[in-house]
Amino acid sequence: MSSSLTREGLLQAYRTMRTIREFEERLHVDFATGEIPGFVHLYAGEEASATGICMHLNRDDYIASTHRGHGHCIAKGVDPVGMMAEIWGKATGTCKGKGGSMHIADLDVGMLGANGIVGGGGPLICGTALASKLRGSNNVGVCFFGDGASNQGTIFEAMNLAAVWKLPVIFVGENNGYAEATASNFSVACENIADRASAFGMPGVIADGFDFFAVHEAAGEAIKRAREGGGPTLLEVKLSRYYGHFEGDQQTYRAPGEVQKLRETKDCLMQFARRVTSRGELTMAELEAIDVEVKTLIDASVVKAKADPLPKPEDLMADVYVSY
Amino acid sequence: MTQVINAWSRIAVLSVPPRPALVGIIANPASGRDIRRLTSRASVFPNAEKASMMVRAIAGLEAAGVRDVMIMPDSGGICGPLFRALSVTTGSPVTVQPRFIDMPVTSSADDTLRATELMCQAGAGAIIVLGGDGTHRAVAARCGQVPLLALSTGTNNAFPEMREATVAGLAAGLLATGAVPAEVAVRRNKLLRVRCDDRTDIALVDLCVTRHNYVGSRAVWDSALLEELFVAFAGADAIGLSAIAGQLEPVTRSAPHGLHVRCADTTLTPQQVIVPIAPGLISAVGIREYGRLLPGQPVVLAPQSGTIALDGEREIEFDPSNRISVELDLHGPLTIDVAAVLENAARRRVLRHYAGRPA
Repeated sequence: MSSSLTREGLLQAYRTMRTIREFEERLHVDFATGEIPGFVHLYAGEEASATGICMHLNRDDYIASTHRGHGHCIAKGVDPVGMMAEIWGKATGTCKGKGGSMHIADLDVGMLGANGIVGGGGPLICGTALASKLRGSNNVGVCFFGDGASNQGTIFEAMNLAAVWKLPVIFVGENNGYAEATASNFSVACENIADRASAFGMPGVIADGFDFFAVHEAAGEAIKRAREGGGPTLLEVKLSRYYGHFEGDQQTYRAPGEVQKLRETKDCLMQFARRVTSRGELTMAELEAIDVEVKTLIDASVVKAKADPLPKPEDLMADVYVSY
Repeated sequence: MTQVINAWSRIAVLSVPPRPALVGIIANPASGRDIRRLTSRASVFPNAEKASMMVRAIAGLEAAGVRDVMIMPDSGGICGPLFRALSVTTGSPVTVQPRFIDMPVTSSADDTLRATELMCQAGAGAIIVLGGDGTHRAVAARCGQVPLLALSTGTNNAFPEMREATVAGLAAGLLATGAVPAEVAVRRNKLLRVRCDDRTDIALVDLCVTRHNYVGSRAVWDSALLEELFVAFAGADAIGLSAIAGQLEPVTRSAPHGLHVRCADTTLTPQQVIVPIAPGLISAVGIREYGRLLPGQPVVLAPQSGTIALDGEREIEFDPSNRISVELDLHGPLTIDVAAVLENAARRRVLRHYAGRPA
């Protein structure tokens, strides 16, 4: 799979990662003003994971996300302008302003939703995968979860179900080293989340989450296997978040300079740009043009979000129930 | 009967080992979890089993008279199970308390490099390594003249052996204490040196130039992407990339040469070899030509762009602007020949003693 990236594919990968980064960096600034309601959990630093995985997915494949879901949404094709409005609680948002950061969902693009329930995505994605299997389609489901969720019963149950029914599911354990403020090497009873796959008889693979190409390649094999009826895979992506668990988290549990060192030495965007330009596949000018376009898009999304109307009180009960 | 009794010493030789000895143990908690679990039928080697192997090795070391064992620390993947395994009282009693090296844990190959350096500085007489070819490559880069006891913890390795750790510990201990002399116990290995502009690196078994564009997920399994292969040794019964050379012209670990194979797409050459390129994955590899690789005669490559895999893992990305050369070096790391150690011990009756008349 590593050689299958076209020039257009490389440009798309960079644009997606840059959009996520710009979106999150902007929220980091704007949230501090106190104008944004609710909580936000930022995905900055983890962009290679969502991007490397979702680039293999079609519109009718499903993903289930986490409370740190902005990156998954953008990578799966949710409109960032609608997302920004949603986070600002506006009626023009992806969920009409009633969901906020932790409940952004867009079924039209296969995004089942960010999810405030830690480990809540596993059973949901098994549902879509079972539907896919019963319908005879080759759609797959991807369940993103974190190292904290890796200890939840829902995730174990979902892995068991996916294994016994041989469902087309890719369990993506994004191990950023901390479940809120608890280090994963304190709370996870094995060195690698991937090790747990063997208990369910499925392959367990580790990918470097700072390296887009490593994630893209491993995810490509896992998704191909699922589409071909090979069953589920557990893919552990080792990465790090650049900000706190939530905005406002003082992060006293992290070593001084930990994030700065990662930004300077391992950053996924930096590594990606260095590699594709040193080989002449893309030019710095092309990447910088994307940077400008993305910044313009995110700036505009914030201006629009601020100006857009709030939901009306009479819309409170709308969209609460779904008719079958 | 008199002759037989004369063959037994009244003193247990190993109750007073020839010299106090320190042995290091390095186990890689991350080995055996790469993409080959998806692209072939490679299995996962549990860290709990690595910890169990370490305890069995320590039992062997203790029986050979070793009282000081240094362990590479990790963030809990092996150290945790190791403590649990040490508390189990079945089997030979293990009274040696291994000590963990006081060093920061980075959960990367840097830990292996650092631990190896510190073990060598502390005067280790041997280092037991549990891991794959990649782990051994990292240790070999820093171990100098300290001999390695190379144990495989996976299904895709050529350099380390699949061997019972108890026996391995006994052999490492007999060497480290001087109960068996180094000249009969230790073997010199070859290695491959690659230079890519200013960067240099080594491989212990094979070095492969591939058309993979990026290091990516590291492993190499697609035979259609192989350009050139260099091997320091290649068993006809090998698994992995060196198996290609092993089926063309087997090269022993002691032979004063390696092999250089130029591969080709199977649609472009009628010459093909069928090899187990990964566990459960048997591939046809097209062969353009091959010949012996001699020490001191670097081969300069003129590739387009791609990656260089060292012992089966992509490590170096290159493009046409890079100048790359590969050379065979006969002065690689030392490894302990377990069978030779124990045969020597048997011949010299090192492990025999006469316990006296039964009560």
